Amino acid sequence: MAPQALLSPLHQADGSATYSANGYSVIGAVNGPVEVSRRDELPEEAAIEVNVRPAAGVGGPRERHLESLIQSTLRHIILTRAHPRTLIQVTLQVTSLPEEESSVGDGSGFSFSSLPVLPPLLTTATLALLSASIPLSTTLSATLVAITAAGKIKCAPTAAELVRASAKVSSLHVFAFSVGRALLLAESEGDFEFGAWESACEVAEDACCKSVEGMEVDGEVENGQEFLRGVVEGKVGREMRWRTAA
Amino acid sequence: MPRAAEISVNEREFILQGLKENIRLDGRPFDAFRSLELNFGDEHGVADVQLGKTRVIARVSAEVTAPFVDRKFDGIFNISTEFSPMASPAFEIGRPTEAENILSRILEKAIRRSGALDTESLCIIAGLKCFSLRADLHVLDHDGGLIDASCIAVIAALQHFRRPDVAVEGENATIFSIREREPIPLSILHHPICVTFSYYNAGGIMLVDANLAEEQVREGEVVITMNRHGEVCQIAKYGGVSVDALALLNCTSVALEKVKDITKFIQRRLEEDAKKRDVGGLIAELSAENAR
Amino acid sequence: MTSAQTIVLPGDTIAPNALPTSANPNKPLTLGPGLRHIPPQTITTTIAGALSTDSKKNAAWIEYNSGRYTPSTSDLVIATVTNSVSEAYSCTLTPYTPTVTLPHLAFESATRKTRPQLANHALVYARVVSASRDTAPEITCIDPSTGKSEGLGPLKGGMVFPISMGMARRLLSGRKGGVNVLEGLSERLAFEVAVGRNGMLWVDGGNVRTTLAVGRAVQEVDTEALGDKGQSKVVDRVLRGL
Repeated sequence: MAPQALLSPLHQADGSATYSANGYSVIGAVNGPVEVSRRDELPEEAAIEVNVRPAAGVGGPRERHLESLIQSTLRHIILTRAHPRTLIQVTLQVTSLPEEESSVGDGSGFSFSSLPVLPPLLTTATLALLSASIPLSTTLSATLVAITAAGKIKCAPTAAELVRASAKVSSLHVFAFSVGRALLLAESEGDFEFGAWESACEVAEDACCKSVEGMEVDGEVENGQEFLRGVVEGKVGREMRWRTAA
Repeated sequence: MPRAAEISVNEREFILQGLKENIRLDGRPFDAFRSLELNFGDEHGVADVQLGKTRVIARVSAEVTAPFVDRKFDGIFNISTEFSPMASPAFEIGRPTEAENILSRILEKAIRRSGALDTESLCIIAGLKCFSLRADLHVLDHDGGLIDASCIAVIAALQHFRRPDVAVEGENATIFSIREREPIPLSILHHPICVTFSYYNAGGIMLVDANLAEEQVREGEVVITMNRHGEVCQIAKYGGVSVDALALLNCTSVALEKVKDITKFIQRRLEEDAKKRDVGGLIAELSAENAR
Repeated sequence: MTSAQTIVLPGDTIAPNALPTSANPNKPLTLGPGLRHIPPQTITTTIAGALSTDSKKNAAWIEYNSGRYTPSTSDLVIATVTNSVSEAYSCTLTPYTPTVTLPHLAFESATRKTRPQLANHALVYARVVSASRDTAPEITCIDPSTGKSEGLGPLKGGMVFPISMGMARRLLSGRKGGVNVLEGLSERLAFEVAVGRNGMLWVDGGNVRTTLAVGRAVQEVDTEALGDKGQSKVVDRVLRGL
């Protein structure tokens, strides 16, 4: 199913977004810049707080780990020096999981990796930051890549594909790229060689970033950056309707 | 610490003046709810409730654990309400506000202690295995009426939830995944619904489903929980000025009307959802085969 | 203003031909909100929105409509007094943000004896005097050049309605903003309004019904992003309903 996104669905938060892809749905909210507690205050930049909340239960070590990954990634794209001594609060709530992941814990004993949920979380955070008009140095798009034991590279695999081939997937990788095709985050899990990692990175780059001019290869697959652009265009178009309306 | 937003003098006076003239900010009658929306997720047991601008998602999930030693024949059911900063920066994780405490206390009384869920039916093998059910409540948008919206969300999610089927052979229990066997709905004994009344003028004015601004200027609140048969599960009144007993009695009759409407609404949405899922009557066929 | 909109995302580089070209080569290019200059020649965006340019002023900025208000000099705002410290009132412009200061003497013909006594949570209509990111912003209720209030000061009675920041900008930018709902309503109704760039609209129509009708009409124009015709329809409906 094609990814879907909605900007600013919430009223209280300064910015918000919902995003669903590959069975994951995440709703994100951004508040900021708001007052920061003295404890977290940074004299020359904004503090960034990321809260990841699981669909069921309260957050545990897995959520803390995701939070720290997202926080350190966002810290590099938010222009934190524009709002010193303030707080930018990012809350990400997972609202639905693919069946394969949510049925974990019913006794099957299969533990699911925490990487597949990372790209939807990062994308939602980016959309919510765009909705909150927080100054950013770039726009981030992220994707998941799986490498099978046979050496095949699969971009944005669904949860079903990961489980079915659970014996065969040898490594999972999450990559995030900026508009300028700079690598912002690389997180890997499993056994792999550097060569495989490099080709996975290339596949991810093509999935995230706009193809170089004159190189329109596959028109059918929408890449990450184009998807974000489409979402923003829809929102700005709606808000600017009064200009064109009679 | 982020400070809570306080309402200005002008707004306070304006809202109170309006109420004296029988006008609410959004033009509703005093005894009307805001527009209520209820949507279910792709998975079973997820209910997304929108009450005006307030939005709450309840999610029911189950796992298999050992029952409490002193309650061998009962399953476990918990409601967890943890506010996140999503709805307001004033909500901090791990530091419950008063509103959060009141909400969890009322839901506890209204749903858990009123025996809405038949916990005995969650028992698999007495003293050894049972289902542990939890309802997680996520507040996404807060514009007043949290208690009412949360209660609707939890009740709807419980009705929507399906637990995995089990087969017991002596001391061994097999739990079937969703693919293996059609999961089973929970056994729910009654459907309690909360209706919150905000009062002004020492109970002279009673408002149903106040929004955030109206909540900020009220003298107090009365939360009435009942089911559609008119059985009162609990009445709570928090703080504020004392209220005439007759006014309270009047509230219960208004509440009954609202509870009947809401229960009917949830039922309708559940049926619509079931129809949507049951593409081509395939599931009906499967469940008929499985019936023993 | 350009008619065709260019939607930009943070990190996009603005092509030199999309920037305004001034007839006067000595006039420097002014970059408004959402744009930043990376030496030597690159101009990139920091906010998602529509690129707008004004060739007369040789300026470019990003038009956006969401997010939290951040004070900037000479903005008109509606502030809420939170408390009074020795020489000034502390006020908030948006919830959960640090307070801004409003000196006790920043009112028309105010002296230590005659300054207005504002209760906590009272509303004032004020202008931002200074807003640097390193100091607490200061607001005032007098025009520093004339010493007169020029319409600023405490707001008595009435009601505030939250509006989007884009709507506040439209209401304050005169005919360019394309808002005629207030003119339409004023043909039959008498009311006062004050527009705060911090996303607040104060309306006083003398009675609850009029105030509400005006406030909600503007909110509807805001949320539906109505053009001229849509606004006339709202005006007709509101006036018929009263």
